[in-house]
Amino acid sequence: MKLTITFDRLRWEEKALCDAAGSAGLEASLIDVKGLVFEVPRKRPEFGDVVLQRCISHYRSSLLTQMLEGSGVKVINSSGVAETCSNKLATSIALANAGVPTPKTLLALTSEGAEEAAEKLGYPFVMKPFTGSWGRMVTVVRDRATLQSLMEFKEELANPQEQHMYYLQEYVRRPPRDIRAIVAGDAIVACVHRIAPKGEWRTNVARGAVSEAFKPDSELKEIILKAARAVGGGILGVDAMEPDSGYLVHEVNNTVEFKGAQSAVDTDIPAQLIRYVAQSARR
Amino acid sequence: MNTSCKECGAALSVPGDAIVGELVSCKDCSTEYEVAEISNGNVLLKPAEQVGEDWGE
Repeated sequence: MKLTITFDRLRWEEKALCDAAGSAGLEASLIDVKGLVFEVPRKRPEFGDVVLQRCISHYRSSLLTQMLEGSGVKVINSSGVAETCSNKLATSIALANAGVPTPKTLLALTSEGAEEAAEKLGYPFVMKPFTGSWGRMVTVVRDRATLQSLMEFKEELANPQEQHMYYLQEYVRRPPRDIRAIVAGDAIVACVHRIAPKGEWRTNVARGAVSEAFKPDSELKEIILKAARAVGGGILGVDAMEPDSGYLVHEVNNTVEFKGAQSAVDTDIPAQLIRYVAQSARR
Repeated sequence: MNTSCKECGAALSVPGDAIVGELVSCKDCSTEYEVAEISNGNVLLKPAEQVGEDWGE
């Protein structure tokens, strides 16, 4: 079986996945997609039986996946899953519709609407960009004065979606950590706590959070797998919080990074992910 | 494989097992480069892409 791992920024994860694929007996190659040109629609046999999409740029990843799928190539994750996960609003809708517990979330289409939504949620609340990752521009809004300043800053952004529209979410009181589960199909490959560094409320590894192995109970396992199914399934990073009121899933990541998790668990994460890729390609 | 930083001129060492697409940083000025080509033991670097607002997991 020929596997192509597409990337636009080669990280430890992509190299580990390629090594794991080689060890599993797959004919694996890494392809930097940045210089490629595609014609619509044309077969691309060089991508082999299955592509593991690992581009770091959402828009590049999305267009490339659409192009490859249009050329008859199986891509993991599919374009539908990528679209749902790369837009926080789409993720929230998918989770809520599937009955997955998730923080209360409001959409406002203007700054006036944002002020009204803020009153509905109450302060503090969390404001997030629709697209993006690693906790970038995720802000706790503690009062109206902060909201007004943030709205002024947002008006200066070039992206119309982020400039004029608002994703607001309840502020969940939780321990200074969250849960990251790496899922492949119907299996939880690894689960860790991500512990926020001192002076930081966000729990992203990119912000300095440290991972510690964590064994989910049966309730959490069920919620994690339900969340993964809600966005369409595949190789995913499901993020959850554990307030006193019960588990809440706040994000599902389409191109999951697992270097932090791998440092905390004995499971060979890339080997497990590659096993899922090979099984999916055979179906 | 050795080359130099285009920004500050410091010596820049690229690991022998590096592959095209891999990132290297200048230890002196932190400028980030991407390995563009490797041939006959020579390495060609290009400036790495800057973080975009759509980058992430």
